[in-house]
Amino acid sequence: MTQHSVLGTQHSTWVGQPFPRIEDRALLTGLGQYVDDLTLPGITHAAYLRSPHAHARIVRIDTAAAEALPGVCAVMTGEYVARNANPQRMRIKAAGSPNVYALAHDKVRYVGHPVAAVAAVDRATAEDALDLIEVEYETLPPLVVAADAMAPGAPLVFDEIGTNVLWHDTFVYGGVDEAFARADQIVRERIDIQRYSSTPLETFGSMAQYDPSNGAYTIWGHTQMPGQELGGISRALRVSAGQVRFIVPRMGGAFGNKLRPLNLISLALLARKAGRPVKFIEDRREALALSQSADMQVDVEAAITNDGEILALRIRGIVNEGAGLDFALRHNVLMLANTVNCYRVPAVSYEGYSVVSNRPPIVANRGIGKPVMCLAIERTVDAIAHTTGLDRAEVRFRNFIQPDQFPYETPSGNLYDSGDYPALLRKALEIIDYDGALEKQREGRSQGRLLGIGIAAGVEPGISNAGHNALIGESKITGAGEAARIRMEMDGTVTVYTGGLEAGQGHATALAQVVADQLGLHPDQVRVPLTFDSGTHPYVMTSGNYSNKFHGEDVAAAIGAAQKIRDRLLNRASSQLDAAAVDIELRDGRAVVRGVPDRSVAIAELAASAYGSLAPDQAEIDEPGLEVVHVHTDPMAIRMDANRRVKIQLSFPSAAHVALVEVDPDTYETKVLRYVIVHDCGREINPMIVDGQIHGSVVHGIAAALLEEFVYDAEGQLLSGSFMDYLKPTSADVPMIEGDRLATLSPFTPLGTKSVGEGAAVVAPAAIASAVENALEPLGIRIGALPITPSRLWTLASEGGARYGHADN
Amino acid sequence: MSADVDWGVDVKRSVTMTVNGTQHTADVEPRLNLVDFLRIDLGLTGTHIGCEHGVCGACTVLLEGEPIRSCLFFAIQADGTTITTIEALAVDDQLHPIQEAFHENHGLQCGFCTPGMVLAALAFLEDNPSPSEREIRVALAGNLCMCTGYVNIVKSVQAAAAALAGKAGT
Repeated sequence: MTQHSVLGTQHSTWVGQPFPRIEDRALLTGLGQYVDDLTLPGITHAAYLRSPHAHARIVRIDTAAAEALPGVCAVMTGEYVARNANPQRMRIKAAGSPNVYALAHDKVRYVGHPVAAVAAVDRATAEDALDLIEVEYETLPPLVVAADAMAPGAPLVFDEIGTNVLWHDTFVYGGVDEAFARADQIVRERIDIQRYSSTPLETFGSMAQYDPSNGAYTIWGHTQMPGQELGGISRALRVSAGQVRFIVPRMGGAFGNKLRPLNLISLALLARKAGRPVKFIEDRREALALSQSADMQVDVEAAITNDGEILALRIRGIVNEGAGLDFALRHNVLMLANTVNCYRVPAVSYEGYSVVSNRPPIVANRGIGKPVMCLAIERTVDAIAHTTGLDRAEVRFRNFIQPDQFPYETPSGNLYDSGDYPALLRKALEIIDYDGALEKQREGRSQGRLLGIGIAAGVEPGISNAGHNALIGESKITGAGEAARIRMEMDGTVTVYTGGLEAGQGHATALAQVVADQLGLHPDQVRVPLTFDSGTHPYVMTSGNYSNKFHGEDVAAAIGAAQKIRDRLLNRASSQLDAAAVDIELRDGRAVVRGVPDRSVAIAELAASAYGSLAPDQAEIDEPGLEVVHVHTDPMAIRMDANRRVKIQLSFPSAAHVALVEVDPDTYETKVLRYVIVHDCGREINPMIVDGQIHGSVVHGIAAALLEEFVYDAEGQLLSGSFMDYLKPTSADVPMIEGDRLATLSPFTPLGTKSVGEGAAVVAPAAIASAVENALEPLGIRIGALPITPSRLWTLASEGGARYGHADN
Repeated sequence: MSADVDWGVDVKRSVTMTVNGTQHTADVEPRLNLVDFLRIDLGLTGTHIGCEHGVCGACTVLLEGEPIRSCLFFAIQADGTTITTIEALAVDDQLHPIQEAFHENHGLQCGFCTPGMVLAALAFLEDNPSPSEREIRVALAGNLCMCTGYVNIVKSVQAAAAALAGKAGT
C-alpha cells in the first residue's frame, strides 16, 4: 500500500488494524435480535391491503367482514388515518400541498399503495382478513414512464400540485456556451438506467406500542435517519418527540432502502387502534415493490478538443420519482454534485427534471443518482475515445484532475479533498496487464470470441451536507454532523452511544478501535450498543447511517466525546499523581506521567473515584460521574453561496475499475472473467472491513449492470416482483474481486479517512458497460442503457442494431 | 364474502420433532411453515426469513443432516424428523470451526444470511471436505448474500475446510 502522505502525531494503536469484528459472535450464533426476532406480551401482527391498480380513485371501502373475523384486533383505512394524524410535510416547495397520509386516502397512486391495514393475532389471520375487505376502485390512466407523465395534458398523479413535473431547474457554472462555441467537436451520449435495488436480505420491519396512560408511543423500526424520522413521526402522530421512544434494532442490511416513515406512522396508529402492540414485517414481494432506485435518463453533451480534452459539459437528467414525495429530488441533487466525476472540467450546466408517476415511490439505493452520473460521464469519455481515436485509458489520463490540484473545487462547489487518479488507473491497468489483455483480445477476436476490457474511473462522493437542500428550496436542515455520548463506567470500561445505526458495516468495531486509541484502552473495553434508542442515544437531524458519513461525522463525534472524557480523567490523574494534566498520557489502561512510567494510576481507579468520591473536597477535583455528550458539526458543511454553489458532499474517495468480460456470441450472455479495483479511501480504520465493503459494493454494481431490473408493464404492474424474476447475483455468478489500495489522506476529517461503502457500486456499472461495449466492438454496438441482458442484446444483434438503448425513449 | 368462511385452518395437527437435541410436540395449523414453527413456537429466531419463496436460502436448516429451505416446508412435513438450526452449532461457548472461519475471514457483514450460509457450508463440507473455489461457489449459489460479494464467504469456507481437515487429522 502506498502512503502518499502520513498522519501527523496522532497516536494510534488500534486504528488501522484489521481488528476482528465484535459484532460477529452474536450474528454467527443466531442471536442477532433483528426486529422480527423481538416480541411483546399481547403482540399482534399486521398485514396491509395494497392497491392492485397503478392509478385509481377509491370509491368505497367495506371492512365489516374483516373486522368480524375471529382473531382480528383492528382494521384501519386511510379515512381513519386522515382523522387521527397529520398529513406528511412537503419537503419541497410545490404549487399546492398534497395531503399525503400513511394510508391511501382518496386515490391510489401505484400498485402496492397501502389502502388498509389489519392487526390480528397472527400474520396468517391478518392476511385472511385482507381477503374480506372490499374496495371499489374507479381506475384512472396509469403514467408509467417519465415521458408520458411529462406530456402536456397528462392526467395528474397529485391533483393538488397541478403538474407531474415536481421540479425543474437549470444550473450553469462557468462559461459553458463559450466553451461549446470554441470546441473542435461535440460528443453526445444518452444513458437510460433502470430501477434496481440492493435488496437487503432482511426486509423492512417495525413494531409499535401505544401507552394510553400517557399518550406515548414506542416504535421499534427501521430507518437510516433516526433524528429526521422521529421529527416526522411525532409530528404526524400529533405528539411531542419526547412522547415517541424510537428504537432501531440492528438491521440485516439497509443500503438506503430502509426509509419508510409512512409505514412507521401507520403502524403506530394501528397499535393505538388495536389497543395492543403490533408488528409488521414486509414480505419479499412488498420489499421489492418498495425498495427501488429511480429510473432515469441522462443526456450529456461534451465540448471537446481534437486532443480529447473536455472543455465543458451540458447535462440533462430526468428522474422518474414514482408516486412519492419522501425522497423526491435527491437523485437530481446528487447527480448535480457529480457532473465532472474525476475530471478537470471547468464549465458545466445541469438541467434536472423530477417527475412523479404511477410507479412506486423511490428510495435511496446505494449511491443515489451517482451511479448513473458516473455511468453517463464514463460512457461519454469512452465515446470521446471512439471519436478521437485515442485509447480509452489515454483520454482519462489527459482529463484527470492532477494530484497537485487538491483540494480541488468543482464547478458546482464541491471541494475534492485528496486523490491521485492517474496513479489509481495506472495501478489497475498494471494489475490487469492491460497490454497483455489487449493482445489476448486480438487473438480471441480472430477466433470469433467477444472479449472486452472495461475501464472506468470515479469519484464516489460521501457525507451529504444538508445545506444542499437549499438547491431545492428547503432550508430547515443544514450542515453535517453527528452526536455521541460516552459514559466511562465505574470499572473503567466505556460505553459509546451515537446517532448512527448499524446495518452490517462494522461500525461498532471501528468505533471501538477509534475510542480505544483516544483513551488508552483495548477495544474489548469499549462497548458500542448496536440498537439505537432515542431514550439513551443522542441524535441530531443529520444523524444516521447514510451517505457514507460514518468515517467523518460519527468518528469525529466519538473522538470529541472521548477527548472530553480524557480531559476529565486527566483532571483526576493530575490531582492523584501530583503532575500537570498536560504531562499525563493515557495508555494501556493507565494514566502515566510522561517519561516517568512508575508514576501512574489505573484508569479504572480514576473512574471509580468519579462515581464514589463525592465528599465536597473530593468532588471539586472534577465533576462527579463520567458521562459526556459531544455533537460534532462539520466545519466544511457551509451553506449555499449566492451563485448556487454548494458543497453537496464533503468526502471524495476515488477508484479505478478494470473489468474483463466475455460475451457469448450465441446467447449474448456476459460473463465477468476478472475484476480489478484500485481504490483510495484515505486512512482506513479497519482495512479488513474496508475490503468487505469494496467487495460487496462492486458486486452490487456488476449486478445492476447485468442482472437486476424492476420491469413494469404499460399498466404499471411489476413484472419482476420475486427473486425468481428479479435476478440477484449468486456466488457462482461473480469472480473474486482483485485489486489494491492507495491512500491519500483527507485533510478535512480527524483521521484522514474518506468514505467507503457505496463507492464501488457507483463506478462498477460504468466499468461493465465499457467492457461489454468493448467486447461488442466487432459488431459495432454501443451501450446506452442498463441492464445489459442477453435477450435484449441478442435481439439488437439479430436486427443489426448499433445502439443498445431503451426502445421507448 | 362473509366472516364465517370456513378457511379449514383451525383443524390443528400434532407434530413431534427433535430440534437441536430436544424433542418438541405441538399442535399446529397445517399451513404453518416450518420456519415459523421454529421461530415463533420454539423461539429459535436464529433461522431467518428472507424471501419466503425458496430462493434466498436465509431459512436454511438441516433436516436429518441435509440442508432444506424451511420456508418451503410445512411444519407437519417435518413430523418425526431431527432438525438442526444455527443455535446448536456453538458448543459450550466455543464457536464451530466454520463459525470461527467466518469470523476470522470477515465472511459476514449484516449477518442476516449467515446462519443459513453456515449451515449450507456445514452440509457441503461434510460431502466435500476439500473443495475447489468453483465447487464452493456452486454449492453456495442457493444462499444469497447482499453484503459481501461472496469473496470473504468463499475464503471462509476454504479456511473452514482447512481447519476441519486439520482437526480430523489430529
